[in-house]
Amino acid sequence: MKSKKLIFSISVGIGVVMVAVLMFNGFGYSQSSVNSGPDRLLYGRVISSYGPVENVRVRLPGSEGYSLTDKQGKFSLKIGHVPWPRFRITAGKEGWFNNGQFANQTDLSGEVFLNPILLDDRPDYQFISPEVCARCHVKLTRYWDRSKMAHTTSNPKVLETYYGTDAYKRPGIGPGYKLDNPDDSGNCAVCHAPSAAVSQPKTMDLDTVLKSSKTEWDGISCEYCHKVRKVLKDPSRPSGFRPVLERQSPLQGQAILVYGPYDDVAVPPMAASYNPLYEKGQFCATCHSHVKKVPDTSTWNPDSIYSDEEWKGFGLKDKSYLPIQTTYQEWKQWQSQLSPTDSNKGKKCQDCHMSWRKEMLPYDNYVVDAGARNMWGTWRSPENIRPHHFDGGTEIQLKTALSMELEGEIKGDTLIVKAYITNTNGGHWVPTGETMRSVMLVMNAVDGNGKPLELKKGSRLPDWTGIGEEKGGNYAGLPGAVFARILQDDKGNIHVPFWRATGIASDTRIRPKKTVALTYEFTLTDPGDEPEVEAKLIYRPVIKPWAKKKNWLVEDILITSSAW
Amino acid sequence: MKKYNIYLISIIFAAFVLLLYIPGAAVAGKITGAVKVKGLRAPADILVYLTKAPSVSVDLSKTKFVMDQQNLTFLPHVLPIPVGATVLFPNNDKVDHNVFSLSRSNKFNLGSYKPGERKTIRFDKPGIVELRCDLHAEMIAYILVLQNLYFAVTDAKGQFEIPDTEYSAKYCIPKIENLPSGKYTVKTWHEKLKTEKQEVVVPDNGDVSIQWNLTRGTPGVLYKR
Repeated sequence: MKSKKLIFSISVGIGVVMVAVLMFNGFGYSQSSVNSGPDRLLYGRVISSYGPVENVRVRLPGSEGYSLTDKQGKFSLKIGHVPWPRFRITAGKEGWFNNGQFANQTDLSGEVFLNPILLDDRPDYQFISPEVCARCHVKLTRYWDRSKMAHTTSNPKVLETYYGTDAYKRPGIGPGYKLDNPDDSGNCAVCHAPSAAVSQPKTMDLDTVLKSSKTEWDGISCEYCHKVRKVLKDPSRPSGFRPVLERQSPLQGQAILVYGPYDDVAVPPMAASYNPLYEKGQFCATCHSHVKKVPDTSTWNPDSIYSDEEWKGFGLKDKSYLPIQTTYQEWKQWQSQLSPTDSNKGKKCQDCHMSWRKEMLPYDNYVVDAGARNMWGTWRSPENIRPHHFDGGTEIQLKTALSMELEGEIKGDTLIVKAYITNTNGGHWVPTGETMRSVMLVMNAVDGNGKPLELKKGSRLPDWTGIGEEKGGNYAGLPGAVFARILQDDKGNIHVPFWRATGIASDTRIRPKKTVALTYEFTLTDPGDEPEVEAKLIYRPVIKPWAKKKNWLVEDILITSSAW
Repeated sequence: MKKYNIYLISIIFAAFVLLLYIPGAAVAGKITGAVKVKGLRAPADILVYLTKAPSVSVDLSKTKFVMDQQNLTFLPHVLPIPVGATVLFPNNDKVDHNVFSLSRSNKFNLGSYKPGERKTIRFDKPGIVELRCDLHAEMIAYILVLQNLYFAVTDAKGQFEIPDTEYSAKYCIPKIENLPSGKYTVKTWHEKLKTEKQEVVVPDNGDVSIQWNLTRGTPGVLYKR
């Protein structure tokens, strides 16, 4: 009995000691608790070969709080309980390579030394293949590879519109840029294959890009984006914006210069530099904008299409310019119209198009994977990680971009139905981007016996939504409306490709957070009847006439439907 | 003996009168039934409600309606509540969320808020409130604001009972009395099913049972104005 008590006492004793050891040594310690506990201050200084560096962000890697250096480069960083006897702090500032320094519980091992990024863009620089990035950033590159962003050059619709072929690669089927401009390669590659086009923007043929074995040439590659130092206005570019790149390998061995949103990445394979541009909508402007100057002979007048405020929001030099794709400007003018207290103020492209998706769960706390995680990984809150899926125009995005509500009323022999369509989640007009996209409202009103009711008042869908049976996706003549930007030429032809466009026939797209109200009146044969109305909101990525000519499948997406 | 009979009759009469006045003790009945659906994994979470019902004064101050946010999902996906109820929106996820609705009956925007934080909204108008998150496009849920307390949500077998005592207990809604006898219009709502309605008669003494066969289609509005 005594021995049992002894064993029990020893076990309890060992348990207590183990718990104490674990508590003090940090085994099972959650990274998320860095900085928790009472505040302590760690003092230090950030210097360079030019002297102290001011306004440097100094922090424990992965933590939210940081300290800014003063004019003397000095900082006092608040740290809570850090479980390790020796740890690193990091320092980062725009225009400088991030760096770090070891510290113990009370002192830094020395000053933090920063190197400036000397401007030395080298056009002969060869971008690194995304396959190299995938060695450490496994998940991020996988998300990117599944996105449209990764295959902008090999996108069949892009190539078939460029060469004037159809889905079976039969030549001579327009619209086709090369059909209309056989001696000109155009500037498509500037956005569709920027890694290839960056050194020869005006002459790069998409075919040349695709025949290349350089995997970094298809799509917008990792390194292309992460070499962008800033974005400038440049009217000579199709978007009106120009990315300023810094194509160079820094002096630190084989390190890769990489700009990004983190000021706390200071690891050997990359020479990382904090750049706030990566958390700004402006970053996307270089491609998600497309304007063109119309010929002097054009009679294009935007006044009947856009309000003064909207036109001003496109940021065009004068009315001789035509807005083709204005996703960036649409977002920017929406943001500029919001009051400082509006909860949507400050929302940017990255918030929606680089946010977590359910299919990615459980949340990850690292942007690197596998062995790299053990060596260089920094634990982060999922809130500070941007999954690179770039969802846009996908079913997930579209299903919640718009919402619809119906209200009905019977007055005598008339059924009055109001459809309210709201741009709920789009931070730009919907649909946006390519002008071959449209959203259709299709209404069906029937009496108690299922017999269609005659439309007395209200709009009908135009011929280009498809003539024929409704079940085949043809809606011409049915009660409803379309939401689209429709380009036209001087002869009055609508739905012309952008390179032929000299004006805009109409732009009925739905502005962010705004509601469009449409009224329809139907004749009731029996006022005592119980009629029913069903309304569908359908996204069509390519208008019917184009899809038919090109033999493209029309893959409509039902956004939402409602019945009254 | 006669005296005894008089006493007995008086007691029975008093009991009868008392039964008439004790709330719920002698009022008509419930609407029960089952829903069958083609094309849905389970006929659960379908709202069955009365378009018009006797007004019942109920203290909603102690109800606990919660629309949680976890793993980029609103939980539950559909939450029926009576007009005037307040819903709590806790963020129990690991990322910020921004709950809002642009539905005409109840527009609101809670703004971005962090994990661990919670906000509340009171819903004063009947109708369908489509909930969204401004940061995560795939997050969507519905709060169905109902004009009366006579509604039920089907269980996994598609069965329901109006009034729904289980639902009331779950959300701390005070006990709701059975329906008085009479004719009622009963409707269904589910985001993927065509809305159907039936006229039912609750008899003077007892319950009434109805059956539904629902199909996939477009749901209707809750109330036609």
